[in-house]
Amino acid sequence: MDYEQSPDRHVGTARVGSEDGRPKKAPVPVKIIVAGGFGVGKTTTVGAISEISPLTTEAEMTSASMGIDDPGEASLKTTTTIAMDFGVQTIDQTLKLYIFGTPGQSRFAFMWDDLIKGALGALVVVDTARIDDCYPAVDYFERAGLPFVVGVNTFNGQMNYSLDEVRWALAIREDVPVLAYDARFRGSVRDALLVVLDQALDKAIRQKST
Amino acid sequence: MTYPDPDDPASPARPSVRPFLQPSSSGGYRPAHRVEETVTDQSVSLRPFVITSGRTDGADPGIGMETQVTLNPMAAPVRLSPEMRAIVGMCSEPVSVAEISARLHLHLGVARILVGDLRAAGQLDVHVLDNDTPDPETIMRVIRGLRAIT
Ligand SMILES: Nc1nc2c(ncn2[C@@H]2O[C@H](COP(=O)(O)OP(=O)(O)OP(=O)(O)O)[C@@H](O)[C@H]2O)c(=O)[nH]1
Ligand SMILES: [Mg+2]
Repeated sequence: MDYEQSPDRHVGTARVGSEDGRPKKAPVPVKIIVAGGFGVGKTTTVGAISEISPLTTEAEMTSASMGIDDPGEASLKTTTTIAMDFGVQTIDQTLKLYIFGTPGQSRFAFMWDDLIKGALGALVVVDTARIDDCYPAVDYFERAGLPFVVGVNTFNGQMNYSLDEVRWALAIREDVPVLAYDARFRGSVRDALLVVLDQALDKAIRQKST
Repeated sequence: MTYPDPDDPASPARPSVRPFLQPSSSGGYRPAHRVEETVTDQSVSLRPFVITSGRTDGADPGIGMETQVTLNPMAAPVRLSPEMRAIVGMCSEPVSVAEISARLHLHLGVARILVGDLRAAGQLDVHVLDNDTPDPETIMRVIRGLRAIT
């Protein structure tokens, strides 16, 4: 440290500016959301595709506490800190893909709105042992109009239900893909994200032509 | 294809139907569009915001988690708090707000506010996108890039 530590005067001097005096070009960031219930493999998914080991950030979420948690207490609001992890995949010098893994509780409406702003799409991770856990995520992305794909994390090829059964349980539209993948393998996560991107591309093309 | 009748006791509805779709459901929840209303009630968690002088609503909504931040080459040397100094120290190469938050152990909300302040102070360039609906060309490039990774 090149400045004196003083506990009650929290100041220091910063020297900034690059040598050539020109503003730095920054890559365009794009993001995909990985959502789902507790312990379904979100962090594993992010880690498998990221070129850095996943980072964790803490965010304040304002919970609107309605619906499932306290029916009838719709106006109660509290703030909760949640841990969200993310990874990066550099596409090229001008384009970076961020993958954000987020807990899928329905209460955290505020943070999710922040999170999906500008997002390309979402992968909803499902463990067939606890399909219900992904309801809030599916419901949210449906209502928000964000392209999403349901990815059944196969946990060593173990699936308690077929993909058709999962689709039936989630009651999602025919055009929402349901696929099986393995969160531990980069190639498998990559292929799942490519399906998300296909959905995103369809939507972007539809939007452009209207 | 045919699905089992969920009401048939011989083949019970497992897995169950998404509760939001049942008419009796008490709601689920909708995407909120009331940012001002939701950010103001931070009373239960003031501590992380002490270093932002108590402000919790100063974050520019255009600054997202993935927003890229770089040094402003025209910046004049100024006195900065240690947190701000640490942020500036990370930005010689483009870095996202989320990375700033994670690596400096700052709450995301705090990182956003400080980044906004540093931009206002002329220290940082914050590369807010003009258009945050992704365009087909960009998505195509992501697809090609991802296909190429092994
Ligand atoms: N065998 C096997 N284990 C897996 C797989 N995916 C995840 N796991 C394990 O399951 C546990 C939970 O995975 P995480 O990736 O941490 O799940 P998460 O959704 O991030 O969990 P939370 O953040 O706690 O909600 C970890 O111990 C993983 O190692 C898989 O495909 N196969
Ligand atoms: Mg996790």
